[in-house]
Amino acid sequence: MQSRWDIGEPEPRTINKATEQLKSELLTLNMGPQHPATHGVLRIEIWTDSEVVAHAIPHLGYLHRCMEKHSENMDYRAVIPFVDRLDYLAAMNMEWNYVMAVEKMLGTEVPRRAELLRIMVAELQRIGSHLMAFGTYALDLGAFTPFLYAFDYREKILRLFEEVSGARLLYNYYWIGGLWNDWTDDQLDRVAHFCDEMEEEAKKYHELVSMNKIFVERTANVGVMSVQDCFDFGATGPVLRGAGFKWDLRKNKTYGLYNEFDFDIPIGTGEQGVPGDCWNRYIVRMKEVVESIKIIRQCLEKLEPGSVMAKVPKIIKLPKGEVYVRTECPRGELGMHLVAQEGEKSPYRLKVKSPCFTHVSMLPRVAPGQMIADFVASVGSIDIVLGEVDR
Amino acid sequence: MHKELVDLINSNIPEAKAVFNEATDPKADASITVEASSILKLASWLRTNDHMPFNVLQCISGVDYLEYMEVCYILAHFDLNTPRELILKVKLTDRVNPNLDSIVEVYPAADFQERECYDMFGVSFNNHPDHRRILCPDDWKGFPLRKDYVPAKDYNGMLVYPDNKMNFEDREFIVRQNMIKKAQEKASES
Repeated sequence: MQSRWDIGEPEPRTINKATEQLKSELLTLNMGPQHPATHGVLRIEIWTDSEVVAHAIPHLGYLHRCMEKHSENMDYRAVIPFVDRLDYLAAMNMEWNYVMAVEKMLGTEVPRRAELLRIMVAELQRIGSHLMAFGTYALDLGAFTPFLYAFDYREKILRLFEEVSGARLLYNYYWIGGLWNDWTDDQLDRVAHFCDEMEEEAKKYHELVSMNKIFVERTANVGVMSVQDCFDFGATGPVLRGAGFKWDLRKNKTYGLYNEFDFDIPIGTGEQGVPGDCWNRYIVRMKEVVESIKIIRQCLEKLEPGSVMAKVPKIIKLPKGEVYVRTECPRGELGMHLVAQEGEKSPYRLKVKSPCFTHVSMLPRVAPGQMIADFVASVGSIDIVLGEVDR
Repeated sequence: MHKELVDLINSNIPEAKAVFNEATDPKADASITVEASSILKLASWLRTNDHMPFNVLQCISGVDYLEYMEVCYILAHFDLNTPRELILKVKLTDRVNPNLDSIVEVYPAADFQERECYDMFGVSFNNHPDHRRILCPDDWKGFPLRKDYVPAKDYNGMLVYPDNKMNFEDREFIVRQNMIKKAQEKASES
């Protein structure tokens, strides 16, 4: 079968009379698998024509850990730690999706306090994940300072999570039927305090990076993904919103108790550059941090004492059938297709539709014609986590 | 929504022979099953029709049911007023060498998804522009997510799965062995 990358002889470029007679050919360059700008172990084969990228071919699978196969041999409860390790920067959001899929089949009513705490924790995790995206993106573009600021504040979130769940990165905190542990009043006060601090801090980030001349020059009008491109490739999350389409599952196909909350969906408006470029994707994330703070504050107001765990059978067995549950994660829409057989203790099949996997498939569309440095900016702006791409 | 869509499909593309699968349990999701040969025509109709379009392909997931292979296309419509989603199923009776038409020309998102389906289940897609494995290495043998998959003892001459390092009392090991036995029995019956 003919591969699509067989493009034949490249057209000779004529710069001036002296180089007209020279033969030109594409140079193959491997970006990764050990490359700081790929945020993990992604290898991108780039065909370059001098400094310009002609093709980019992503090669995945360096972090493939057979998570879908493993989960077919595990109890429904024992899958949760595996799900954690998908997107290790937003483990709470991953757990929530899986737990919701099982609860939907089981028909469990989750207590109100647990639902509210779940939203609060997920939004805290979203802030943490966006801070990481902000820091590493600036790092990709050569600015080291924002990374340190971002990690300082992400650390505060991790400290809180460590107190309630016992782990810093991979929590196993959302359980089927509720949460493992309740938050104390003292911890909730600290969340409120964190919100106040974070709001001030977010303004500082805008001054430091968002409107910085160098940053805008590097990102505005670079790596444009239009709304149509996003629909073609199934891109979601900040990539779709950055292109100017106001789509957020928390509002458009609401789950949990999100319908009780009042918040906006930020979209890329083209304040700098055009909607769909790297700068707009970046600014959507930064504005979402502020929206998340709003949601957390409303959560704290709504919280009432109560149980955080529903009654769930000791051995979970689901009825025959399948569900597809999707939620809005920091990187886009996560979907889980869970197929259950009657009387089985483990899932018959668990397919994870990961947002980053679809975003990586857009890179060959974006790359041609970009400079290599701009391509690095494009890869960074979709904020990939390879644990989720390779599963 | 599903029943309406089944009628629409059958009136527009009669060869699809769409069947509505009611959820076996009230809490589970319903789905639609169509004929495998019509998938490309159906996909382009689903994307472009005026009555009930689906503008995004979310994912393609395979399920090995031992007697047959099933490929699930999960489609969604991103619209601010009428969001919807659909599980579209295709039943492949040839479980050993399953074969389907590629829908990459309709939904470019299918590119990576079909490669993953091939990698994990061995479903080959006709006219796919870049038909390779995606997560496993190119020289990997077997299709890991099939129920009767037995991991090879060696890979490229390296012993990776030696007997003396195996924990035969591990629960995961026992469950997997039972599943492989079940799958092989079913295969020999048919």
